[in-house]
Order: sequence, then structure tokens, then C-alpha cells
Amino acid sequence: MNAIALHNITKRFGSHVAVDNLSLEVPAGSVYGFIGPNGSGKTTTIRMILHILLPDSGRIDVFGDPRTDLARDKIGYLPEERGLYKKMKVHRLLRYYGRLKGKSLLDIDKNINRWIDQMNLRPWLDKPVEALSKGMAQKVQFIAAVVAGPDLLILDEPFSGLDPVNADVLKDAVLDLRRAGTTVVFSTHDMGVAERMCDRIFMIYKGRKVLDGTLDEIQAAYGADTVRVRVDGGAEMLRALPEVTSVNDYGQLQEVRCADPQALLAALVARARVEHFEITRPSLHDIFVRIARPTAEELASETAHA
Amino acid sequence: MRKVLTITASEFLSAVHTKGFWIGILLMPLLFGGTLALQKVVDRQVDAKPRVIAVIDDTGQLVGPLTASSKAWNRGERDLGPVVKQGPTFLIENVTPSGRDRQAVRLELSDRVRREELFAFAELPAGLMAPDTTEKIRYYSSAPAYGELPNWLHRTVMKEVVKRRFLDADVSPIVVASLIRPLAIQELGLLDRIRDGSVRAAQTVDKVRTIGVPLTFMFVLFVIVMTTTPQLLNSVLEEKMSRISEVLLGSVTPFQLMLGKLLASTSVSAVLTLVYLAGAAYTARRWGYLDVIDPRMLAWFVLFLLLAVAIYGSLFIAIGSACSDLKDAQNLMTPAMMLIMIPALMWPAITRAPQSALSVGASLFPPATPFLMLLRLALEERPPVWQVALGVSLTVLTTILIVWAAGRIVRTGLLMQGKGVTFAELLRWVRA
Repeated sequence: MNAIALHNITKRFGSHVAVDNLSLEVPAGSVYGFIGPNGSGKTTTIRMILHILLPDSGRIDVFGDPRTDLARDKIGYLPEERGLYKKMKVHRLLRYYGRLKGKSLLDIDKNINRWIDQMNLRPWLDKPVEALSKGMAQKVQFIAAVVAGPDLLILDEPFSGLDPVNADVLKDAVLDLRRAGTTVVFSTHDMGVAERMCDRIFMIYKGRKVLDGTLDEIQAAYGADTVRVRVDGGAEMLRALPEVTSVNDYGQLQEVRCADPQALLAALVARARVEHFEITRPSLHDIFVRIARPTAEELASETAHA
Repeated sequence: MRKVLTITASEFLSAVHTKGFWIGILLMPLLFGGTLALQKVVDRQVDAKPRVIAVIDDTGQLVGPLTASSKAWNRGERDLGPVVKQGPTFLIENVTPSGRDRQAVRLELSDRVRREELFAFAELPAGLMAPDTTEKIRYYSSAPAYGELPNWLHRTVMKEVVKRRFLDADVSPIVVASLIRPLAIQELGLLDRIRDGSVRAAQTVDKVRTIGVPLTFMFVLFVIVMTTTPQLLNSVLEEKMSRISEVLLGSVTPFQLMLGKLLASTSVSAVLTLVYLAGAAYTARRWGYLDVIDPRMLAWFVLFLLLAVAIYGSLFIAIGSACSDLKDAQNLMTPAMMLIMIPALMWPAITRAPQSALSVGASLFPPATPFLMLLRLALEERPPVWQVALGVSLTVLTTILIVWAAGRIVRTGLLMQGKGVTFAELLRWVRA
């Protein structure tokens, strides 16, 4: 069964097409990554799933039900911009968000106790939100999203601004939910998170779906034209080689794209001392950049409009 | 509906669960009463210093009576009204030019006024006593806004001059005084025919009942609406600016959110009504006016309170949702505040002539109807039934329209960030 099924949905704002004839299926129980550059239509898509916006055309099913307004109570949502009442005490706030999902206070309190302990926030339960640090507030926002025990959890940049310790706490919480059968949708710009945590990844660009599949499937589609090398001459020397089509310089290591890795190796050996040479599949970051990097025409157009 | 009530309960608790709310409730009537009392005290305190006036009396007959009159004034014996112990005292300084150049004398006195040795000086020309005179009392001062001294001077000189004119005409001023003694007027209400056929005599008009009580009804409603509805703008704007709206809209529709807030505002208004009515009942009972609290008027009050909260609450919610910051909100608030201020500007005209075309028109203008129709209903001269029915119908229709339009604005506005909005855009959102 699909947790989310988008059937040819389109959303326009005036003359701007934010989402263009988009179809997507998110299987129940999966962790699905939504990636895409800013303004590509991610948030609009999420808002349509949440019934905050309605599509101009097409149909959205949540757990098989096209009435997304009724499905809203099954969805937990952590928006990118955190939204908490500063003066409200943590316990009252979590109860309020839980009640808005139609849950009983008994169930809500049970969930609050569970998550407050898991997030190490017990001493802060009766404190106003304004007394919390940024990391704590983010964890409270996460609890607010899961306090009603959602079947589908949509997380928009859940780890941004968190230190590694708190990021791990949140990551473990997400994995716990997944094990319990919750479908998790990640909207993120962190390609590492998408690669490590998501079963499937969907990329939207200019309102259209440009990627959809497992990481393996996506990488396979983009071929084995990526080589990680460390050579004496560094990035400058690599850029000068005719076999190389592009160079991504990481300082200690360079990631290059080339049509024929064997020819590249031969060229390198002839010119310099090769310390590392690894034929690999392109990273998600690389694929993202390949798709979303503006073309020369687009850059020229932006300059002309500026 | 359960979600709406959840929002209502949360908003209501947030509003009343603060010390500021209860301090505000108690402070409002204290501020009203205290401001009036303070104004009187301050007036007297500010005005208590002696004011010296130099008088050049060319008639040679007036400075004596003026001095005597000023002494009576300074003892608190006012020529108008009751004895007043506090207030300014007037001191007369008789100036005799003795053949000096008059212009030089005037200049010298002007300098003394500038040096604050004098408050003012006056010339009483010789021809002032003649019955057919065109001469005027000339009063010189650097404080033209201060009227009490020149008015007193004018009255006192007039009285003395008229007295002397009668004497010159061999008419006794005592006789004249008795002949022109003013008549009093007694303001009465209307007579009633009682069931047993007898007639109930007209009662002397009691200003507290006829004007004070109606105004109290209107201003209590005004204060409650002004206290509760602008808070909705802050609440919505805070939720929008801190991105809480998006979380809420993941659980409820914009209309549910708005309805929850409106109901919370209505509940807060109900608390305020109970508190103020209890206070009014206590005060009325203490002063023997308990009978003025008429159950029919209370019913009208509740109806108009609900309509006013719905109209202004929806307006402020719509403004809050359409704005991205406080500056935007202030700009958009101006028209709403102008609407809400209509009753505060119109009440004097309505109490003077409740059935005039202006009063009828103003009380049928829906945003003002809750306040002005309530005022007219509380006055002795009540509006005809058709006007009340029309006013209520128009206001109910307007309320429905405004709540609907506000719902449309909230739906779009809550998700708009970082952008000011124009009235044209608001209209487009409503039509969308």
C-alpha cells in the first residue's frame, strides 16, 4: 500500500507553475527523501499532501484516501521554519498540538512521556519554550510532530542547526519510528542524510520529477564515469587534461568525470605520481549538481534580468 | 468542531491566564474615573496662582467695585455658580497715568507683563458709562488662551456699568434686579397612562438615567471590543511571523483556525462583560439605580457584543494574516480603527437628536450599528422597530460577509511571507 500517491498533480501561482504534472508513489513504511533546489516545488508538494494547498489538477491519495483533509490527522509535520509559541510551557504546547490532531489527552500524555524521556527533556517539561536552547526547541518541535502517533511523518530539514549529539538523538528517533511502521518523508538539502537514511529518493526540479528510485538505481542511471583521484599536480593539472570533462576539488581529493577512466589513468601515469585512483559511481551530491546547476543560457538570462 | 474548541480553549487560556489581563480589567474603569477626577484636581492645582491685573480706569468709577468684586471672588464667592475655595485669585492694581503719555504707560505695563510682575492690564475708557457708547474694554495679555480673567472682568464691569446706567435714569437697580430675575426651567419626562386608567405624573429628568446609563452601555461595549479584538491581530501575526501557522494548518483548516480564535475572543468578551456588569450592578445598587439595569437592554447588549466581536475580530484576523510584520499591520489597521472610532465621534449628535437623519443613518451603518443602535435603544426616545430590525439584519449580513471574506484572506495570507500587501491584492484573494 502506498502512504502517498500523487497522480499528475499541477499547481500554479499566477503564471508560475510550481508543480508540473507530478506523479509519485511513496510506499507505506518507507523512508523517502525529497530533494531539490530552493524554489523547485518541494514545499508546495508537501503543502498539497497536507491539504494546506489544493492542486489545480490531479489527485492526491494519502493511505489510499483522496480526501486529504481527513487524512491530515494521520500526518505529523515538522516544517523547515520552526513554529513554537514562545510563552507557552512545553507540556501545554505538546498537548495542544496533539489535541489538534484529534487525539485523546490520555494517548497524548503517554506519547509525551515517551518522547520527553527519549529526548532527555524531562527537566524542561514545565518551562516556557523561550527558555529552551535552539537544539532543545528543535527536539520539542520534533515531539510536536510525533506526539499524536502519526502514520506518516514529514520532516523538512530535521537536522539543520543541530549539533552531532542531538542530530544522532533525532536520527535514532526517526529510525525507531520507521521500525514501528511509520512512513517517513525527508525533505532535505543534506545529500549525505538522503544517501544514508532514505530507502528511495525523489528529486523535483522546476516543478517536475527528475529523479525517483533507490540510491543504487539513481547512481546506476548516471553511469560509472566518476573517478576519485589524488595526484601530485592537484586540481589544476586535472583540469588541463583533455580526457577530463569536469573536476570537483575537495582539497585532499578530486572527483573528476571522464568518458573513459582507463584512458584517464594512462594519461595521469604519464604525467604525475598517482596516489589514489578509484572508479566510483557519482554521489547524490554530484547528480544533484549536474541536474540543478544553471546552464550558461540560464546564467546569461539571469544576468540580463538583474 | 472539537478542533475549533481546542483552539478556543488554548487561546482563551492564553488571554486570561495572565496577570496583565486582570490588571487591565480593573484598570480600565479606574482609568476612566481616575482621569476625570485627576483632570479636575489638576485644573484647580494649575490654576491656583494669583493673577495680578493692572487697571487704568478712565471712568474713575469702576476700579472700586472691581476691587471689591475681586475680593469676593478670592473668598470663593463666584458670580457664576457655587462657592469655590480653590482656584485662581484676582488682584487689582489701580494704575493712574497722571497726564503721562498713554502709549508710554501701555508699553511700560506690557514690559511688566513680560517680566511676569503682572498677568495682564486693562483700560476702561471714559465713555464706557454712556448708554450709547461704542467704547470697548481693552484687555492686554500675553496669554490669550486664558479666558477666566477677561471673562470675569467683562462680567463685573458690565454689571457695574448697567447698574449705574439705571441709577442715572432714576431707575432703582434693586427693582430692576427683581424684574429681570431669571426663570428656572424644570426638565421633565412624559406622563404615562397606567393600567387602572390613572395617569402617572411626569418625573424630573434624571441625567444619569437618560444620558449616563445609555452612554455607559455603549462605552462598556466599546471598551470590551477594543480590548479583545485587536489582540487577535497580534495573535495571528505572531503565529505567522514565527511560522506557527504552517504547523497549525497541517492540522486544521484556516477557517477552523479563525473560528477558534473568534470564539476565544467572544469568550474573553463574555468574561469582561460579566466583570463590568457585576461592577455596574454594584455601583448602581449603591447609588439607588439598580432598576436601570433592564434585562431587555442586557439581551441587546449581548447580541450587539457578539456581532461587534465577529465583525472586528474577523477584520483584525484578516489584517494579521495578510501582513508580514508590525509595520504592515499598522498601515492596514488604520481603516479598521477609523471604523471602530465612529461611535466615539457620533455619540454627542445621537444623544442630542436620536431620531435625526444623521443618527438614523449612522446607527444603520453596519460597522457602527452594534454601538450606536445599542445607544439609541438605551435612550428615552427609542428607535422604531423597523429601524432596529433593519439595523440588526444589515449587521448580521455584513458580519457573515466579513467573516467569509476574512476566511478567504486568511487562507492565502497565512502562507505568504516577507511581502507587504495592498488592498487590491486583498480583494483578489477574496475573489480567488
